[in-house]
Amino acid sequence: MLTYDILIIGSGGAGLYAALESRSEEELRVGVLTKIYPTRSHTGAAQGGVNAALANLDSTDTWQDHWFDTVKGSDYLADQDAAEIMTREAPMVVREMEHWGCPFSRTDEGKIAQRPFGGASKPRACYSADKVGHVMLHTLYEQGIRHGVNFLNEWQVLSLMHDGTRCQGVTAINTQTGRVHTINAKAVILATGGHGRIYWTRTSNAFGNTGDGTAMAYRAGLPIKDMEFIQFHPTGLRRTGILMSEGARGEGAYLLNGLGERFMSRYAPDKMELGPRDLVSRSCETEVREGRGGPEGEVFLDMTHLGKERILEKLPQIRELCIEFEGVDPIEEPVPIKPTAHYSMGGIHTDINGQTEIEGIYAAGEAGCVSVHGANRLGGNSLLDILVFGKRAGKHALEYARGASFTPVSTEQEERDTQMINTMMDGKGSGITIADIRHAMGNLMAEKVGVYRNASDLESAISKLADLQEQFKQMRIQDKTKAFNTELVSALELKNMLDLAEVVTAGALERKESRGAHTREDHLERDDKNWLAHTMATQGADGRPKLEFSPVTITEFEPKARTY
Amino acid sequence: MSEKIRYGFYSGCCFQGADERFFQILQDVFAKVDVELELIVDAVCCGSGVIEERSELTSLAVNAKNMAHAEQMGLPLYTPCSTCYNVIANAQKRMQEDPAVHAQVNEILAEQGLEYKGTCKITHTLWVFAQDVGLDKLKERITNPLNGLRVASYYGCHTRNPADIQGYESADNPTSLEDILEVLGVQIVDYDTKDDCCGYHLAWPNNKLNMQMTSNVLEGAHTKDVDMLVTSCPLCFKSMDGTQAKALAQTGKNFQLPVLFLPELVGLACGMSAEDMMLRYHGVPVNIRL
Amino acid sequence: MNATITPDRKSILANIRIQRFTPGEHKSAFYDNFKVNVETGMTVLEVLRLIKNTQDSSLTFRAFCRSKICGSCSVRVNGKPLLACSTQLMPILDDFKQESVIIQPMRNMPVLRDLVVDIDPVIEKLAKMHPYIMENRGRIPETLEQESLMSRQELTKFDYITDCILCGSCYSACSAASADPNYAGPLTLGKAYRFSADVRDSFKGERMQAAVDQGLWSCAQCRKCINVCPKDTRPAISIQRLRKMSIDDGIHDTPGSRRAKAYTDDVAKYGQVNKPMLPVIVNGPKGWAAIEAADNYLIKHGIEPTHQVCTLDGQSSTQKIYAKVKELESRGENKT
Ligand SMILES: Cc1cc2nc3c(=O)[nH]c(=O)nc-3n(C[C@H](O)[C@H](O)[C@H](O)COP(=O)(O)OP(=O)(O)OC[C@H]3O[C@@H](n4cnc5c(N)ncnc54)[C@H](O)[C@@H]3O)c2cc1C
Ligand code: SF4
Ligand code: SF4
Ligand code: FES
Repeated sequence: MLTYDILIIGSGGAGLYAALESRSEEELRVGVLTKIYPTRSHTGAAQGGVNAALANLDSTDTWQDHWFDTVKGSDYLADQDAAEIMTREAPMVVREMEHWGCPFSRTDEGKIAQRPFGGASKPRACYSADKVGHVMLHTLYEQGIRHGVNFLNEWQVLSLMHDGTRCQGVTAINTQTGRVHTINAKAVILATGGHGRIYWTRTSNAFGNTGDGTAMAYRAGLPIKDMEFIQFHPTGLRRTGILMSEGARGEGAYLLNGLGERFMSRYAPDKMELGPRDLVSRSCETEVREGRGGPEGEVFLDMTHLGKERILEKLPQIRELCIEFEGVDPIEEPVPIKPTAHYSMGGIHTDINGQTEIEGIYAAGEAGCVSVHGANRLGGNSLLDILVFGKRAGKHALEYARGASFTPVSTEQEERDTQMINTMMDGKGSGITIADIRHAMGNLMAEKVGVYRNASDLESAISKLADLQEQFKQMRIQDKTKAFNTELVSALELKNMLDLAEVVTAGALERKESRGAHTREDHLERDDKNWLAHTMATQGADGRPKLEFSPVTITEFEPKARTY
Repeated sequence: MSEKIRYGFYSGCCFQGADERFFQILQDVFAKVDVELELIVDAVCCGSGVIEERSELTSLAVNAKNMAHAEQMGLPLYTPCSTCYNVIANAQKRMQEDPAVHAQVNEILAEQGLEYKGTCKITHTLWVFAQDVGLDKLKERITNPLNGLRVASYYGCHTRNPADIQGYESADNPTSLEDILEVLGVQIVDYDTKDDCCGYHLAWPNNKLNMQMTSNVLEGAHTKDVDMLVTSCPLCFKSMDGTQAKALAQTGKNFQLPVLFLPELVGLACGMSAEDMMLRYHGVPVNIRL
Repeated sequence: MNATITPDRKSILANIRIQRFTPGEHKSAFYDNFKVNVETGMTVLEVLRLIKNTQDSSLTFRAFCRSKICGSCSVRVNGKPLLACSTQLMPILDDFKQESVIIQPMRNMPVLRDLVVDIDPVIEKLAKMHPYIMENRGRIPETLEQESLMSRQELTKFDYITDCILCGSCYSACSAASADPNYAGPLTLGKAYRFSADVRDSFKGERMQAAVDQGLWSCAQCRKCINVCPKDTRPAISIQRLRKMSIDDGIHDTPGSRRAKAYTDDVAKYGQVNKPMLPVIVNGPKGWAAIEAADNYLIKHGIEPTHQVCTLDGQSSTQKIYAKVKELESRGENKT
């Protein structure tokens, strides 16, 4: 049996930072297990920036300003003690990244450059051209190589194991061989990222952002928190969901509906295309709902009137993106777009050290929920979250593992998981494919649990998701080869997504208010009296989510209306 | 006789000294298709990408000088050497992209009363034949079509990589060489190693690897049972003809594959003799019926 | 629908030939043909996924971010390594004027299954190159209370390489890597330059030696790596710069550094490389054997050998260029 003192699941920013923090003790065995190669994690996709009140651009900026912006941005659902820790520690972790060689862009004086970001009162997003997540991820990986971090690449975790109070470890399948293993670990840190893929192609997230760790924790009886909050970005490319930054609209691009009308005049006659993200997302969605979308339910971002020269000079990267991924040259024609699921605010419930209710089990990053983002994450705060809480989880796990002993574990779970896989691989099945179910799930979630929500849509989504779960049970994997079976990888991910989709929907149905990213057409107002609370979901004995609510920690800022 | 097409001839090192015969051959072959070369006498060695290993600025200045002379002559700069083409075209691109560097280079050239304006057009044998002369005219001048000859075509690397140093044709799927060969009447044979590098530029720093790479390319063509390999690059020619015996011996292979430099084959098809093309100087004898 | 919003789009029933292989199941690689309706706008990855979702779910390939940032999805299409997720297929069909393409796994790495290759050997080579910053305490403060300062100019020296996504395309394209399994390859040498050029680093010496040991002078400068790199990180250029750096740092005793010196000095002196004498210049006295062999070759072909450098009439003016460059460099004004 494989054993690790500390096993980190996931090699995004959160996992790698945790690994670097926890490996400082020579005699402890620390491993990073990840279903891809470390540098392929979705942290690399972040382009914009990471927030820290360094005050390099605006000398009046303080961490307290950042703290307030975060709480306000969260629509007061963030725990203020957690947000305080994050914003106070931000300058340290960003400087640590810099000391490790991260190539941040520079100011005239040679300091880390910062830019303004939505929802921030001062320019404090530290950036590296348009590749900040990429360079942070690579910097962490490089330091991992330097310090001899032990990687298990292309291993997929299946189940989380504990004895009711203490961590036992995980089961995982080695994709390259197809074998299931039990791994005994004193401490496990789940850093498996978000679950934007429950919207399938309607997301800016990577194929593998399927919420594996969150689903695994849920199935292991741990509470998962605030799952109904999913942030949408208004402009994802139609075919792939890939993000088109605000840059184009900033430069004067128009949003057109299928009839060629500049429809924002209906929703934000003053700001037009430059209205806030959520409003623009909702407006796009309304156009499509009311039958004014394009043939595939899209709207269009039109830059043609800007002219070739201006596009080439000001928006070369955006143009390249449109050509490469959509086959559309914005100089010649409008670009088809749809709102795209972008960030999962919810996740595994943890305290400020990343600890869950089970000793030795930790979660960090987008998979976890402390919560610092509440109902709506501010741009640049999630990269910060993964650093600060990845580090804290690593540090705490190290202290824990130093004192703790291994909790014995049998191979029972391994046998169950092997059996589950064998069943999926066995026989011909009903003819329904993973692709069919995934597609149906994505469309269902986008239509009924997307930008707009209401009770009847959500109820119908719950029942349709149950159908899909039934279909999943009938589904059989056609590829019978053990080694590198990517169809099996996808099936296991789909199982996780179906579980989480149900929790997201149940939470959305229960929460009868509109807050942050959660908009109920039938409850348009924020309702602090009844809903200033975290949603805690656990899996009931019947397999369905059970919801409870717990109070939000308020230390400094009394909830106010969120206006900008 | 129709109009002559004229170029400033940048000779590189393959067309002087012991290799001067190639200059002669080129001029004779080009005469057949109404092309005239005018030697750029003030040109200096492009440095074949090696001077950069000491000073990029020096390399840029040297090649700006080469282009400046062509600009003064009012002619496009033609070089038959793919590496010279690559290095000079790269210098041109670098200065186009970075006006500050361009200005600094001109500051250097000013000391000898030169200015590189950036207007110089650069071209290579491939495009002289395939585009400037044109396939139609080339076809007209062919008196000895090489029907039935099985030929492996080999561009080498430096007219193709990176893609943006030339605007003449697709870098991923260039066809100029095959277009020319087709007009000559030969049968073009596809082979696995045609996109590989012969390793010529490793001759000094890592000769063993050069031999291995040359041998790999040759073997790929040889297994397709071709009569010869034809290349548009004089350095690839040197590697694959001049050092073929050594390369194959070092890698334990035992065959001979005649290699021709593209202008030689064009000359033969235009009715010139093996003697005119001085084929006796080849390392690997060219004994096939032509 | 507004006419300007739905321009004409093409659709071709294309034949997609894909190399298949599962070790242990198949004796050797073979090809499967799939018919796919390729439309304008479709990437190579979309085509692969379409085949997997609708025709053969066992088709195996990697992809993750599908947005050109993770480096998972490199495959070869008609021989050229590229990112499946950011490459439109229609323009390739147009370029090759065919209704069919061949998709193969990358070269120079063992195939794990179908289009998936084992990149561990490359990552191991990278790891040996010390691909990380070791703190230069002259630049990096001891505490996290302060940042290290770095000018934009200092950053520009290596920033372009930090775009590398470790996709392996350059390694697949490199003929030197095919011919010499010990050669580190373009991406690893690019990284070696990236860290050595960073003023915050203190490990340049060791890294430079690692680079020399792993083939700094085995790059043929064919520049294919520049051509295929999806992030335009120009590995061959970094290799030139790394070579320069190693010479500047005093590693003079390699054939490569002697060649660099010979070319540079000769061009200054004669406007031309002294080719006949190169063997001795690069390899020392044992180079005379090569010169003799060359002489014999010439004699055999009826050419009179000469050890004189050949020059053209106007090739004397290069000294002025060299002098001026030296002057600029000594004043730290070199803009390259
Ligand atoms: C397009 C885009 C742009 C963004 N821009 C910004 C920005 O500008 N600023 C900002 O702050 N945030 C941004 N974000 C958000 C931010 O990038 C993410 O929230 C953050 O990177 C998440 O990091 P992570 O370490 O938690 O997870 P990830 O980086 O997603 O890593 C998850 C890891 O878990 C592993 N894993 C998952 N499941 C399993 C399993 N079953 N077994 C084994 N391993 C598993 C994966 O292999 C992966 O290594 C952006 C997000 C997107 C999608
Ligand atoms: S230039 Fe060098 S590293 Fe790049 S592909 Fe050619 S031989 Fe390989
Ligand atoms: S240098 Fe370019 S081609 Fe090579 S691995 Fe990096 S990104 Fe890929
Ligand atoms: S899938 Fe990530 S680069 Fe193509």
